[in-house]
Amino acid sequence: MWAADVDLDEPLTFDVVATIVGAKRSLVVQLVQQGLIETIDSETDEPRLPRRTVVRIRRMQRLRRDLGVNFAGAAIILDLVGRIEQLNRELTEAQRQLQ
Amino acid sequence: MVANIKDYYAVLGVQRGASDDEIKKAYRKLARKFHPDLNPGDKTSEEQFKQIQAAYDVLSNAEDRKLYDQYGENWRAVKAGAGAPPPGWEQRAQQSTRGPRAGGVDFGDFDFGRFNTGGQGGFDIFEEMFGGARGRGPRRGRGRDVEAELELSLEEANRGGRRTLQMQAAEICPTCGGTGLVGDKVCETCGGDGQVLRPKTIEVNIPAGMRDGSTIRLAGQGGSGTNGSEPGDLYLHIRLRPHPVFTVKGDDLELELPIAPWEAVLGAGIEVPTIDGKVELKVPAGAKAGQRLRLRGQGLNKRKGGRGDEFVRLKVVVPKDVSTEERSLYEELKRVSRFNPRS
Repeated sequence: MWAADVDLDEPLTFDVVATIVGAKRSLVVQLVQQGLIETIDSETDEPRLPRRTVVRIRRMQRLRRDLGVNFAGAAIILDLVGRIEQLNRELTEAQRQLQ
Repeated sequence: MVANIKDYYAVLGVQRGASDDEIKKAYRKLARKFHPDLNPGDKTSEEQFKQIQAAYDVLSNAEDRKLYDQYGENWRAVKAGAGAPPPGWEQRAQQSTRGPRAGGVDFGDFDFGRFNTGGQGGFDIFEEMFGGARGRGPRRGRGRDVEAELELSLEEANRGGRRTLQMQAAEICPTCGGTGLVGDKVCETCGGDGQVLRPKTIEVNIPAGMRDGSTIRLAGQGGSGTNGSEPGDLYLHIRLRPHPVFTVKGDDLELELPIAPWEAVLGAGIEVPTIDGKVELKVPAGAKAGQRLRLRGQGLNKRKGGRGDEFVRLKVVVPKDVSTEERSLYEELKRVSRFNPRS
């Protein structure tokens, strides 16, 4: 049996995120400048990124690679899929309460 | 993960003589429909996409496609330099549209499994490999990372605790050691994939104060690495089940509390639920409908210590049916009261 956990809400620097997703720092900066990934304000000069950003960028990379959409399109897709998921959960819950 | 792959051309819905552009177009069209990032949690789509990806990986590579066209299901063994294909390969390759199995098929960044709680009731989960090996197969280096969704009740997420999860995890095939080949033949245990699915139990320590969308990383609990390299990680995304009583607003909780008109006018001590149990709330005399009362420190645990608040929104409810006595009392109230809500 094994157990460990790491809190992924801890903020990361742009450089670290870029390394994890195998991209250049400039890509991460561009994604932030275009408002495609969220940042956490920091007391230092540069804002930080929540760790979940890693997952989002990887999904965007996959959509870009597999579907040929650009990053802006991938971000819209992920946001819409998230909203659909949320609505599905609410629908399921509403159906459960009706029964 | 082992999958039964049909004829690669049939999977993509193209003719054997299809051009590269036609193959890419067919792949893109199917990927838009079945891509796991567009269909989270949909197992059927996941399986479909794996087959589509496997077919495209082969047919989009001129060398692999040529070998596949020539040797059918044995093409990978031939490519690996394992010698001549087994007797009868030609007939099998030509006669069948069943085509090859997933002999070492690269599913890109994806692989999927299923989790079950250890006797604590079911929860839906999807598992998504996303490529510690940078989008290439699991045999090269570090194991794949896995994304999954874990549904928790508000109470579980708030207090944290341990959860036992059961999952189907991909492990290096014990027969072929991950090569996908035994001698000059495709490994029968794993069908050439180099990995097999095995049930695996892990314990997860859920920190107190998790929220919807929080993520936990379980280092080393993703796909197995090869040749002694490290395994991938498991990322658990927390989803909160809607709560029947509370609405979550950041660190705070909100609930609607129905009260009688006389409780609003006279004030009352009313028992209200909190995330930790019931407490008595003092409703002040003259309370208004929609008024919010705060129970300080009765909200959710914060990640770095402390707690949010609980807000109780008052809802004045009038009785549907009144007895004769109640009616006469209301009549009396109407007679003596000088209150005019419209003045």
